This record gives sequence, C-alpha cells and structure tokens, in this order.
Amino acid sequence: MSPGSGTIYFMATSNRNGSAARKINQPVPGRGWSGGIWRLLLLVFGVFLGLLVPWALYLDYQVTSEFEGRKWDLPSRVYARPLELFPGERLARADLELELKFAGYRSSPAADKPGRYHVSGQTIDIFRRSFQFPEGTEPPRLLRVILADDSVAELVDLKAGQAMDIARLDPAEIASIYPLQKEDRTLVRASEVPTLLLTGLQAVEDRHFKQHPGVDLSGIFRALLANLKAGRTVQGGSTLTQQLVKNYFLSGERSVARKLNEAIMALLLEWHYEKVDILDAYLNEIYLGQQGDLAVHGFGRASVFYFNQPLDRLEPQHIALLVGMVRGASWYNPRRNPERALERRNLVLDVFAETGLLSAAEAEAAKAQALDVTENPQGSGSQYHAFIELVRAQLAQTYRESDLKSAGLRIFTTLSPVEQEKAQRAVTAGVDQLHQTGLPAALQGALVLVDTMSGEIRALVGDRYPGREGFNRALNARRQVGSVIKPLVYLLALEHPESYSLLTRISDAPVVLNQPNGKQWVPTNYDEKSHGEVTLLHALTQSYNQATVRLGLQLGVNNLLHKLEQFGISVPIDEVPSVFLGAVELTPLEVTQIYQSIAAGGYSVPLRSVVAVQTADGGELVRYPLRLMPQTQREAIGVLNYALTQVVQQGTAKALPGLLGNSTLIAGKTGTTNDRRDSWFVGYTRDRLGVTWVGLDDNGPAGVTGSNAAMRVWAELFKDLPLEPVDLRMPDGAFWLWVDDKTGALTAQNCPGAIEVPFVSGSEPTTSTKCMAEASEENDESFWSKWIDRNP
Amino acid sequence: MMSLSGVSGLIETHKAVRANRGVAPGCRRKQLLRGLLVLLLAGLAACTGPAPVRPEPPATVPAETQDTPAEVQEQVREPARRESAGVQVHPLQNPAVKAMLAEAGQAESQGDYDRAAGSLERAMRIQPRDPEVLQAMAEIQLHKQDYEQALNFATRSYDDGARVGEICSRNWRTIGVARGHMGDSSGAAQAELRAGQCMNTKPASY
Repeated sequence: MSPGSGTIYFMATSNRNGSAARKINQPVPGRGWSGGIWRLLLLVFGVFLGLLVPWALYLDYQVTSEFEGRKWDLPSRVYARPLELFPGERLARADLELELKFAGYRSSPAADKPGRYHVSGQTIDIFRRSFQFPEGTEPPRLLRVILADDSVAELVDLKAGQAMDIARLDPAEIASIYPLQKEDRTLVRASEVPTLLLTGLQAVEDRHFKQHPGVDLSGIFRALLANLKAGRTVQGGSTLTQQLVKNYFLSGERSVARKLNEAIMALLLEWHYEKVDILDAYLNEIYLGQQGDLAVHGFGRASVFYFNQPLDRLEPQHIALLVGMVRGASWYNPRRNPERALERRNLVLDVFAETGLLSAAEAEAAKAQALDVTENPQGSGSQYHAFIELVRAQLAQTYRESDLKSAGLRIFTTLSPVEQEKAQRAVTAGVDQLHQTGLPAALQGALVLVDTMSGEIRALVGDRYPGREGFNRALNARRQVGSVIKPLVYLLALEHPESYSLLTRISDAPVVLNQPNGKQWVPTNYDEKSHGEVTLLHALTQSYNQATVRLGLQLGVNNLLHKLEQFGISVPIDEVPSVFLGAVELTPLEVTQIYQSIAAGGYSVPLRSVVAVQTADGGELVRYPLRLMPQTQREAIGVLNYALTQVVQQGTAKALPGLLGNSTLIAGKTGTTNDRRDSWFVGYTRDRLGVTWVGLDDNGPAGVTGSNAAMRVWAELFKDLPLEPVDLRMPDGAFWLWVDDKTGALTAQNCPGAIEVPFVSGSEPTTSTKCMAEASEENDESFWSKWIDRNP
Repeated sequence: MMSLSGVSGLIETHKAVRANRGVAPGCRRKQLLRGLLVLLLAGLAACTGPAPVRPEPPATVPAETQDTPAEVQEQVREPARRESAGVQVHPLQNPAVKAMLAEAGQAESQGDYDRAAGSLERAMRIQPRDPEVLQAMAEIQLHKQDYEQALNFATRSYDDGARVGEICSRNWRTIGVARGHMGDSSGAAQAELRAGQCMNTKPASY
C-alpha cells in the first residue's frame, strides 16, 4: 500500500466522521507511519470481526441446517399388488407380458439379469428381482413360466431345476407421494453403494477428496490450466463438498461472490462433519434429472429413474453414465440427448481406466454396451391417480399428510395394473362407442372393480379420458342409482320366509301415492305398461317399478334404509317411497360396497385399497387385514344371488352374454334414472364385482339406460377378464327345489315345466304337482325293477 | 357421509406403529435465504419447533401376551381329528394354496400370527372360498384372541365347506370356543352339539 493511498483513506474517514477525524489527526509523537499501519491493521481486523465472522456464522448456520434437516425428506412409494404365479392360474401371455412391463421388466435375448425376461413361444423366463415384501425379503430368482391355453401349465425354479407351487413377482411401483419441494430421492449410504461409484466419482470430480479441507487449491489450479489449454471450460475445480453446497442452494448465478460463499461453506462443512457423512449427503443430494416439476436427486433414485434397477445391480457402464451426468444432468440427459450422453459416458469410462479403476479391457467392453436406459421412468404413469386418491383417503385415517410426503413409507396396495389398464380401456372405448351410436359427446363414465370376497379394489376409473386428473367420478360423482337399489327391496321380502319366496305373486298394477307436499306420485314401468300378477322373481328380473313399489310398501321404507346402513351406507336419505325405485344419490364406490355384501354371500368386508404400510427401512408394519362382517340371514342373500343371475339369463340384462361372447353364469342388475340421466350396471362373477356408471356431469338427460350404456362398458371390461361362474351353493337355511314354473308347486325334475329354484327354509311350496306324485310312484317301480332285472 | 371416509373408516389396524423416524420438518432454504444476519438468532429459535406427533392407529386386538396355542390344538383340532376317523372328506386342493397353508402353519408354530394371516390372505386371493384356508384363518384368529373374527371365518368355512367330517367339526368347535370367550355360553353349547353332528354320515333327506 502506498503512503498516498493511506493518507487518502484516513482523510476520507476523517471527513465522514468528525470525532474519529479529531482522534486520527492528533499527532502521535514518535510513531509516524508505523502507527498508521498499526491502525490500519486494527481497522481491517475490526472489519473482519464485525463482518466476516458473523457472515461466516450465518453461512455456517445455513449450510449445517441444510445438511442436518434435508437428508431425511423422502417420498412414500406406492406399490401395486404383486402378481402371484402358480400352476393352474388363468393367465394369458399378453397379460403376463403387460404385468412384466408395468413392473419395469425388460424383454431381452436372455433372462440373464434380475429385471429381465425372455419370451420364446409359450415359455417365459423371468429373472425376478429381489424385493422386500411386507412378510420379508425374497431374493432374486430365475423363473420359467410355461403357458398353455391361457393358463400357467408349469412353474419352474431354473437354478434349482425344480417345479414350484407358487412364486410372486415384485410389484409395480405405481406412484410416489412427494415432499412439498418436489424432490424425488431414494436414500443410499456410502457404505452400501458399489465401490466403483465412490472411487469413480472421486476420479472424475475430486481426486483429493480424502485430503483436502473442503477446497482443493491444486485442483483449482489444475482445472485452470486445463481450461486455459483448451480455451474453454472443460474442467471444474470444485470439490465434491463444494458441489454438495452448490446443490443445496441451486441457482444459475455464476459470480465470484457466490463461489466464495460456496468455498467458505465447504470449509465449514468439512470442519463440522466426517468425510463419510459428506459423501453420504452428496450421494443423495446431487441433482441427476427431472420429470415434469419433479427433481430427481441422488444416485439411489437416479438408478431406478434411468435403469429401473437398484444401485447395487448397476454395471460399470451404468455407473459411468450417472457419474458423467453430475456435470450437467439435463445437458447429458440420456433419454433426450442419447449421443451426447454416450460420448460423456465413454469419456468417464476412459477416466476409470486411466486411474486403474477398470482394466483397459473392462472399460472397452463397457464402452461397447448400449446406454440401456428405460424408455419411461417407473411410476410415472398418471393412469393410477384415481386409485391413488383413494389410497390417500384410506391412509389419512392413520397417517398425517406430512408423513406420507416425507417419511419414505412403503405402501402396499391392492391395485392390479393389468386390470386397471383394461378397465380404463373399457371406459374409454365403451363411452366412445356410445357416442358413435348417437348418445351425447359429453358422456362421462366411471368404473370400480373389486375382488368379490376380499373387497380389495383391483381397478378404479374416474374419467373416460385416460390420465386426466380432476373430477374422480368413481369416488365423488353422487348420482341417483335407480333400479340398482331394487334387489335390496326383494332381499327384505326374502328375509320373511313365512310370507315370501321368489315365487310369491305380487301385483304389478298402477299405484298412486300421496306425497307429503300434497302432490301425487304415480310411478310407471319402463315400457309404460302394467303386467298384472307376477312372481317376485319375474318382477325383479324385468325390473318392474309398480310391483317393486307395492312390495316395498308392504315392507316399509325405514327397513330399506336400515338395510342400506347394514351394507355400509350412511348417507342421510329421505324416508320416502321413491327410495324403492332408487331416488338415492350414491357414488359408484358406495354402490360397489353394497353389492360386495351380496356377491360375497353376505360376508361383508370394507372395501380396501391398502393392505400394509412399512417404514422406509422395512421396519414396523401397519396391516389392514381382511375382516369379515357377516350379515344376518345370509340364506336370503343366497336366494337373491340366484335371482340376480336370472336378470342376466332372462331379464333386463339378457343381452349381456351376447356382448361378452360367453355364457358363463353371471349375476347383475341394470339401473336407469328419470329422463335417462344415469346408466348403471352392477355385475359379478365368482371372483370379480364390477360397477359401471355412465351419464353427463351436468346431470342432464343423456338418453342412457342401464342396458344400452353402462352394461356395454361393463362387458367391454369383462370380456377381457377370466370369468368364473357365480357360486350358487346355498348356505345353511336355504335349499334348491324343483317346482312348476307356472304354479310354483313342488314337482319332479323330469316333469314338464320343472325349474330348479332356491328357497329360504320355511318358504318352500306346500303343494305338489300331479306329475310329481306319479313320478315318485314310478321311481319306486324302477327301483324294484332294477333289482329284479339284476337278479334274474 | 360415507364416500371415502366411510369406506376407509371401516378399516381397522391392529398394530400400533411409529413409522416416522425423527423426520423434523427443518427450516426451509427459502426462508433462510431471505433471513438477514440480524435474524440469525431468531432463525435459530424458529428451527426448534415441535416435533411431529404421530396419531396412534386404533388398536383393536389385544396384545399377544396370553398366547393360548394349546386351545386351538386341544379344543379344536385334536377332537375333530379323533372323531372324524371314519368320515374323511379330502377335496382336491390347489398346490399353491397348499403351499401357502404350509407357510401359514410354519408361521403359526413360531407364534407369528400376523405372518400366518398374511400367508392365508395370499391363499384366499388364489382360492377365495377354500374351506381349509378359511378355517385356518379362524384358528389364527383364536390365537390372536380376536374371537369375533374367529367366529366369522369359521362360519364362512362351514358355509363353503363340506358341512361334514373333520373340517365341519373344526368349524363348530372354533365357533363354540369363540362364543364361550364372548360370553355366549348357550351358543357355545349349541356349537358343541353341532360339532357332534358333523360325524353323522346320514345324507340329508331327499
């Protein structure tokens, strides 16, 4: 510093501050220049203390709170139900391949690594990945599935060379529930990642990581030289620690001040923490990709995001790609810029070879490999968001939203990805076709598909357009249900065997009711006709309104409301007779809950979308077990099940077998509301219960009926599902009898007009046909004649 | 309103957990960057907010402290096996279901009833109405002292089963034991009677 500048500095100071000037201008005998320097140093020291130390403290606080606070914010992962494989299972090859695709498996010339499969005719080899199921971890396993006639004929453990009774695939990851900052990561530890990742990172990014205190002067010098030599920036001098700091406070700004801050923070981090902690944080923090507004941080998630493999399954070329991407994840994005990414990867492999991490031969072999990146990231599909909405609602009973978003939970659900795909396709294609037949273009649809007995939800469609988020009709469209409610009226009747059986006759004649508001209610039938005396069975299968209202009035509206409550419905409903015809607004999910009780023979279960939740490390588990809640008088439900199969055999849904191209015994019920606003169809096989709704969002007349719209959508789905006939074995307290279809009198199987009908004990006919009396005599004769014949 | 909350509201959990391992919603970067030097102390104070409190899920099943494996063996399986010596019904069983039953049996012998129930649920997904699986689940529920569910699964097994022979006897014995624990002594006696009738090979009247 020249004396002049010092003088100017002091003068300037004196001009600004009178009292200081007075002090400074006082001559200090015998000290002269040296006194000035001393004062200068003191001031600089003061400035240092006054500014730099608090500044460093502030930076220290910032960087340590980032370091401590952020590393545990983990999204929760949501898994589909795992596919069970076992001999005898009905499984088409296309469906198995679709399952594999959804679970992130890749078709390859040989199933030589976990996550790969190979198809050769009807033989599919699958290298199943290791997976942590709620019951425990299952190791990787090479499976052979041999199909025949759309069924699993054989299941073999190829390594052991043994037939297997059962195996399951690791489930598809269908969604993640993200933290507020929209960051996606899967935690890994430096001690657990492949060594090549750790050494490779240091070889490429920071060769003195072990020694430097956070900043590497020789590294900076080396980078400077290299950059000067190349005439552009080819190397960065930032240490891993500096890069970590930079990632904490990502900003595009490139200034000296920022670099300085980064350097100070890097020094501070190194001062506070061990190298291994910094490396742990780095591995989980570094930015490695983007999916929409979601940022992929860390190698754990990047490994799944790009290769759909856990980190410890990666090969040198995969690791090199990820290490190369540290320098610029979007610039070297292998999905968008594959050539650039490949070049960078190979450069990194060269560095691996130079530094002795790989042999030259290994590096060359790795360079010869393709990029091997999956087409789409796992769990990126929006096709599951309707289902996920239900999952979140169920979990909200036990978990806080903030925990779902940050505690890294593993959520095991009931969704079947293949059935979901088919269900969405059915709604989309089905409603499109309805439009083509002249129905409004704005028609919407919803669908719920559940496992009949367990109540596990296999598919949920809330919109006719796939992937569209917004109004979820399956959960939230509250619409009149129309005739879909009628079976409950008939169930109430069957619960009184002393008064009713399916063959009891009832009048389908005009009925006039006075309403509380003074108006009259005059329900009519769909065909505008009355049909006189009909059996309960006929009235239900043909969905006659007048007969149903008359029957309902004998039984009481309050009892119907009570029945709804027993079946899990607790919405407030006005106690008016129009409820008998379905003047009740319910959601498709609620309708499904009602029919689950019927389809499962009276063994009600609450519908479930989640079966278990586990902590990120596979620790403590919350189970949502199957709990049966049996209805009383299940014998009446057994008889009702038969009546609902007759709706399909001979009633309002008799077009269904034609639509399905299949005559399997199915039970169902159509529903239409006033002015054809809503179309419902509920149908079930032994194993699956499906509910479809079609209508307009504005609740306007849509020209739809149960059989012309919703049933077609239902058929569109079920024609692609395995169909098992409805189980009509009667429970204790109900049995089958042969009766005359005209008179309802007991008869014999071989008599004219004989039909087999189930009865609740106490409701069976008391009269018998003449034919039956004769037949029993004949039977006796034939019995004796048999003996006589045999003993000549 | 039922809708979502209604459906899921029926769902119960039987194991309390603390899934959240010290996830402190730390002070966020944006707030910090805005903070000035003078806010240092204030900021520090703000970072020590309350830790999240996990709502405890309802525990509906008593803790498995009073294991009674003997009860299932002595009051259900053993007498059923003894009585049914002459009346055996062996329905064909899916090998996958058999494998899951074996897995459940193993978990049961280790006292891990949750895992046993998990294996049985897997079996039910394969064969929803297998009476053996349903009865095994009923017996697991007896172990867990969830007598209501034991009763329900045994009843379902009887409905779907042969209604004769050993399985029938196990059904009614389970129902009897469960009713006894639930304070329904006349129901328990009735179930005992029905268990006895399971060996009655006379076919129902035609």
